[in-house]
Amino acid sequence: MRRVLAVGVAAALALTACGRDAGDSGETAEAVGAGKATGEVTVWAMGTEGEKLAEFAKGFTAENPDAKVTVTAVPWDSAQQKISSAIAARQTPDVSMIGTTLQGEFAKTGALDPTPAGLFAQDSFFPGAWDTTVVDGTSYGVPWYVETRGIYYRTDLAAKAGFPHGPKTWDDLSAMAAAMRSKAGAKWGISLQPGKTGSWQSILPFGWSNGAQIATADGYTFDTPQLAEALRYYQSFFTGKLAPTDLPQGALEPAFVRGEIGAFMSGPWHVGILNEQGGKDFASKYTVAPMPSKQSSTSFIGGSNIAVFKDANNRDAAWKFLAWLSKPDVQVRWYQTVADLPAVRSAWSDPALSGDPILQVFGEQLKSAKAPPAFPTWSQVAAAFDVQAEKVCVAGADPAAALKAVQNQASSIGTGS
Amino acid sequence: MTRAKLLLYAVLALGLLVVVGPFVWMLLSSFKPEAEIRAVPPTWWPHTWTLGNYRDLFSRLDFPQYFANSAIVAVLVTAGNLLFCSLLGYALAKLDFPGRKALFLAVLGMLMVPGMVTFVPQFVLISNMGLANSYAGLVLPFLAGPFGVFLMRQFLLSIPDDLIEAARVDGAGEWRIFWRVVLPLCKPALATLGILTFLASWNNFLWPLVVATTDDKYTLPVALALYSIGQNRAYYGLLLAGAVVVVVPVLIVFLALQRHFMRGIATTGLK
Repeated sequence: MRRVLAVGVAAALALTACGRDAGDSGETAEAVGAGKATGEVTVWAMGTEGEKLAEFAKGFTAENPDAKVTVTAVPWDSAQQKISSAIAARQTPDVSMIGTTLQGEFAKTGALDPTPAGLFAQDSFFPGAWDTTVVDGTSYGVPWYVETRGIYYRTDLAAKAGFPHGPKTWDDLSAMAAAMRSKAGAKWGISLQPGKTGSWQSILPFGWSNGAQIATADGYTFDTPQLAEALRYYQSFFTGKLAPTDLPQGALEPAFVRGEIGAFMSGPWHVGILNEQGGKDFASKYTVAPMPSKQSSTSFIGGSNIAVFKDANNRDAAWKFLAWLSKPDVQVRWYQTVADLPAVRSAWSDPALSGDPILQVFGEQLKSAKAPPAFPTWSQVAAAFDVQAEKVCVAGADPAAALKAVQNQASSIGTGS
Repeated sequence: MTRAKLLLYAVLALGLLVVVGPFVWMLLSSFKPEAEIRAVPPTWWPHTWTLGNYRDLFSRLDFPQYFANSAIVAVLVTAGNLLFCSLLGYALAKLDFPGRKALFLAVLGMLMVPGMVTFVPQFVLISNMGLANSYAGLVLPFLAGPFGVFLMRQFLLSIPDDLIEAARVDGAGEWRIFWRVVLPLCKPALATLGILTFLASWNNFLWPLVVATTDDKYTLPVALALYSIGQNRAYYGLLLAGAVVVVVPVLIVFLALQRHFMRGIATTGLK
C-alpha cells in the first residue's frame, strides 16, 4: 500500500514539477551574506537525528544569538512521501535532511536550492559523499554524515579457518567462507543479502571492485562483463551453499553471536546491535575487514545529505546553519551525540574516532567508497535491480541474462534528466 | 456435549489461537529486552521482564500531546461522519427529490476512487486554503465519506415508510422526524459507522504525517514511527510497546460498542 502511494505521489509530483522552474543543468546559486545568522530556521530531520538535533543546535544559537533552529522529527520510513508531498504543495521547511539515494529525485523537482559557491570546500568532504549531492553538474546541499559497508567476521572462526587476519581478496573471502563451514563448524560461512529491497547496496561494491561502471553521463550501463563477473561471484556463495538464501529477518545477529554464521556484510550500525546482543565480552570475538579486493577494495557510501529548499523563508541563516554543521569540530560532537560518522574528512583525525580500530576500517573504506548515480530515476531502477538480483541469488538465474534484463528496464525508465 | 459440538469448539479454539496468537505475542514481547525479541526461535513468556520499552517510549515522546491530537481528530471525524452520513443517507433513502439517483450514483462512484489518487491534490488544496499544520486540515477532509453514506442509506431503506408517514400525519416536521423517529432506530448502523470511522481515523498515518509540518500536530501513529525505525535498523521493543499503546483505546471503543456493532453488521448485510 505504501509503495503504491509512493508511486502515486511521485507521479503527481512529476506533473506538478512541469509547472515549476525545474532545475536545468548548470544552475547557479546566489551568494550568502556575511555576518551572523538571524531569525528562525525550520529543519526536518529523520529518526534519531530528528530527536537529538534540536538540543544539539543550541550550539549554533550560542554562536549566533539572534538565530533559532526549530526541528521537526520525521519518521525515516515515510520521509520520502512527506517531503515529496510538501514539495508538491510548497509546504517545505527551510532545511531538510535527505537520504543520499533520494537526492536525485528531489533535486529534479527544482525545489532544492543550489549550493552557494565559496561557502563549502568540496575537498573537505569524502569525494563519494560529495558526489551524491551533485545532480546534472550542480550540487544541492552538503553531505551531513556517511556510512559504508565492510565484512564483519568472527575472529575465532576465521583463525580456525586459516584466515587470522581476515579476507583480503575475492578468493580469500570465498575460501574463508568455505573453511568456516568445513573447519570451524559454522553452519554458514557468510551471510549476504539474497536480493530483495536494498540488495544493490551489497552487490554493486563487488562490481566497482571489479572495475564496473554502472552509469555514464548518458545513462545506465548494467550490461557489462565486469558487473556480470561480480554478480556471478556473488551468486557463487549461494550456489555453493556457503550463504543462506532464506534467513528470517532478525535471525542474522543471534546466529552470528552463536557462531553459526561466520561473517556478514554490513555497515557501522551493526557494531551497536552486536554488542547489545552478544553481551560485554562479545566485542573481542569479531572485527571488520575492508571489502575484499579484485582490482580494488571499493565499498558503497550511504548516509544523509542536508539541503536548503528554494522556498525557504530564511535562506541566509539556513545555509549558515549547514556551514556550521560541516565544521570539523561540530561533526565530531555530532558523532559523539548520535554516532553518525562524519562526512568531513578532517574530523576523522580526532581521537574520538581514530582510537577505534573498527571505525578506522570504515574510515579507510570511505576514502574510495562510491555511490550510485544521482539520477532522479535511481530508486525505480534500483528496485528493478533488486528483483533480478533475487532471481540470481535464490533461483539460480544466469547473472549475465539478469543484468541484460536490468539494463532493458533501466533504458526504458531512462535517467530522468 | 455431543461429538459434533466438541469438534466445533476445537475448530473455533484453533481459529481463536491463530487470530489472537500474534496479538498476545505482541503484548508479551513488549516487556522483553530487544535481544530476546529478536531471539530465534522466538519465546512466548519473557525470560527477563522489563518496562524499559515503555519507559523509552514515554520519555522520548511528548505522549500527552500526541494522544490528545489523536483523540481530538478521531472524535471530531467520528462525530462528523455520524451526522453528515446519516443526513445524506436519509435523503437518499427516504426523500424524493430531482437528481436523487444521480447523486447516489456519484456517491457510489466515489467509493471506487482509491484514496491514493486524490492524496496529493487534496493536500495541495488544503495547504492552499491555509490549513496545513492545523487541526482543521487534519479533520476537514474526513468529515464525511462515501462509504458512510452508502452504509446509512442501505440501513435506512429497511425502516418502514409507514413509520415516517405516521409521524408526518401526527404533524412532525422533517427535522423532528429525522431526529426523533429515524435516528433512534439507526443505533446499530450508527454504532457500526462510528467504530469503523474511529478506527480508520485512529490508525490513519499518511495524512497526519504529511499535513502536520511541525511535530506538535503529529498523531500517535506518526509519533510512534519516529524513533522505532531507523535508516538501517528497527527497534522492535519500541515498536511493540508503541503498538500496544495505540491498540488499547481502540479495544475499549470496540468493547463498548461491540453489541451494537455485531447487530449493525448483521442487519445491513454488509461486511
